[in-house]
Amino acid sequence: MVAVMTGTAPPSRAEFHEAIANRSTRWYAACLKITRNQELAEDAVQEALLSAWNNRHQFQRNSRLETWIHRIAVNAALQLLRSSRPNVFEPLESDVPDRAATPERVQDDYELGNQLADAFSVLSEIERVCFVLKHLEQWRLREIAEELDVKIDTVKQALFRGVKKLRVKMKSLQGETA
Amino acid sequence: MNDETLILYYYNDGLSARQRQEVAHVLASDTIVADRYMALCQELSDLVADDAAVPTADMVQRWHDGLDRAIGLHAQARPTPAVHSWSFLLGAGVTAALAIGIGIGILVSRDEQPPIPLNQDLVTDNGVTNSTGRSSAFIRGLQVHLRESERGIGALPGSTDADRERLILNIIEQNRLFERAAEQNDSANLARVLRAFELVLVQLAAADVSPEDAEALRTKLLFELNVVLTKIARDTSDEPQSI
Repeated sequence: MVAVMTGTAPPSRAEFHEAIANRSTRWYAACLKITRNQELAEDAVQEALLSAWNNRHQFQRNSRLETWIHRIAVNAALQLLRSSRPNVFEPLESDVPDRAATPERVQDDYELGNQLADAFSVLSEIERVCFVLKHLEQWRLREIAEELDVKIDTVKQALFRGVKKLRVKMKSLQGETA
Repeated sequence: MNDETLILYYYNDGLSARQRQEVAHVLASDTIVADRYMALCQELSDLVADDAAVPTADMVQRWHDGLDRAIGLHAQARPTPAVHSWSFLLGAGVTAALAIGIGIGILVSRDEQPPIPLNQDLVTDNGVTNSTGRSSAFIRGLQVHLRESERGIGALPGSTDADRERLILNIIEQNRLFERAAEQNDSANLARVLRAFELVLVQLAAADVSPEDAEALRTKLLFELNVVLTKIARDTSDEPQSI
């Protein structure tokens, strides 16, 4: 059951718990794709819940509580990622990943649990985040630029590079499994 | 027509209406471009996540529990009529100023006393100190809390009385969570700084505080929050990152 607000009251405690029971897996998965770190993803969801509860009077009626919290969680994940790596969203000059494939990173990718996550290993942070926000979370380019505090052209270039790399990588992965 | 334009066309974003019309025209008239676009669409539609990574039952329970704790604190924070008297304000004003001064002094000064171990030993897990995982999460959460507090307090002048009270009570609730965590993990100095913040916040939330006093308290809080955030950022900047 999806909690949809129809009255004038803010969402109740029970509705929040229901939302956690029904949709926290999706919130966590979204946060994990952004942070690629289980602790950060868990923290992001927790922060989102507290923030949503504290601001429940601002919740727009006739929309889904789960969707509202999802958006807050994604924002929290971005904030935590930015806090943990202050220059994480600075655009790269080159067309190569900004991180080596360390064992920890390979493990992180493995824990994300699918082929797309494997393919993420070839992306830089900004390329991955822009791709996740655009392709999986369906944000507008302008929203991504505002959230990451970068120019919209930077988002476009990161998205183009990300898609290009992913197309190549996915073909490679599919070739390996064929 | 390049792939970048086709990607923007696929996402229906980043192109003007005229540009979209031009792309549509090319796709209708050029089979080579149309084939390229179809291949792009197929490949992009294959780029889906199956969300195989799921939170553990413990994790989900922690989210439920965290929410309940926050709600409990909210209920506790509401009934505080006694703190709104002028006599309390005068006394608390001095106390808060001293406490913040002492607290910040201890937090910032490396020469007079040992620094608070902001990047370690702040949070324990089942009584066992975990100096890398949970404590770094605590610091990150604390930073977010302090930054949000700074942002909210900075925006107070444009708020209504009701909004001001609601915002400050929310900050107090969060502040108590971090204060309690600090106390439970032998970070008494940090807990003291957070308590000092709460005292000033309580004054700021008072219905009868004059605009001049409110502005002075607000300015002081912003300054002190900035000092603490700077200190935390400096102390944690050399920590190894988990990503």
